[in-house]
Amino acid sequence: MDRRTEVQVQTTSQPQLALDDVLAKEISTAVSNALRETFAVEVVPGPFEVGEGMVSLVGDVSGVIGMVQSELEGTLTLCLTFETVRDILPQIVGKSVSITHEMAVDAVGEITNMIFGQIKANLGQRGYQLKLGIPCVVSGKGHFVSQFHRGRYMIVPFHLDGQLFQVYVALHADNSKHSLS
Amino acid sequence: MRGQRFPNPATIYALEEKNVSQLANLKVLIADDHFLIRQFVRNTLQESKITNVQTAADGNEAIDLVQKAYDVNQPYDIVFLDWNMPTISGLEVLSYFRAKQEYLDTAFVMLTAESEQQNIMKAIKAGATSYIIKPVSPSDFSKKLFEINEWIKRKRQTSQAVRG
Repeated sequence: MDRRTEVQVQTTSQPQLALDDVLAKEISTAVSNALRETFAVEVVPGPFEVGEGMVSLVGDVSGVIGMVQSELEGTLTLCLTFETVRDILPQIVGKSVSITHEMAVDAVGEITNMIFGQIKANLGQRGYQLKLGIPCVVSGKGHFVSQFHRGRYMIVPFHLDGQLFQVYVALHADNSKHSLS
Repeated sequence: MRGQRFPNPATIYALEEKNVSQLANLKVLIADDHFLIRQFVRNTLQESKITNVQTAADGNEAIDLVQKAYDVNQPYDIVFLDWNMPTISGLEVLSYFRAKQEYLDTAFVMLTAESEQQNIMKAIKAGATSYIIKPVSPSDFSKKLFEINEWIKRKRQTSQAVRG
């Protein structure tokens, strides 16, 4: 155990968030619940993937939110196509209403809020104290969401009537906080 | 399951109809900056036959509408408040009205994705009648509506008794 790890053990009384099946399960549950309860649509989570390095997601509307936990920093991104949003919204706005760009942005902003609020609350009950940043929504047909970070990432895919959308999580440990203390 | 008595389905239906009809006269304001949530709540209220529904997209608009409705003697029965809204937060709207005697019978309900225990306590201490965490299913939302309606009835009975 090196000196830095010793400091980490002494200062961290809560479990440290990791890109593992605990987080993947929370994401799957939060996304499925939000879409089932509010929009009455059933999504099927796929197997999650963990990797390292830069990955770009391609979508039309993305909700992005920053996340920190003691020495961890990260980002959570929900990335969808307009087609997927059009499949989700009719239950609320009516089948005959055509979904506008503004509606899609509004919906993804709120879905992002609900999903990440739920992840934070559920992980909080297990002892993980997360802080979330202010969510933002990025829109534009076929935009890329690229994360520049030094750590690993996790992607949890979801299927809805043949459409695919993804939740992407990037995490890295900011050890400089301990070096400075 | 011998010996167990189940209520007649017709009785259950009649009770549900009666419960729904109790709600039909409620006047409701939904304050949320997201169109989607305003629509979701409106749809769910409609299923409970509540059609006297207005919406506000931020805290300022909510305050204006609640005050104007009171001034013309047609106050809202229930005000749903999102926590994070532009201009003034739902919690600030709640605190503003709870400091005024004339809104004691109005149910102010937080409807928000803020699910931390400390925030729930903060809202309850500020006088929230109920706290609903999004996402919420239409059936759970409807159950809450009945509880809120019971709160309104109790509150009005108490107010009448105090006035003599």
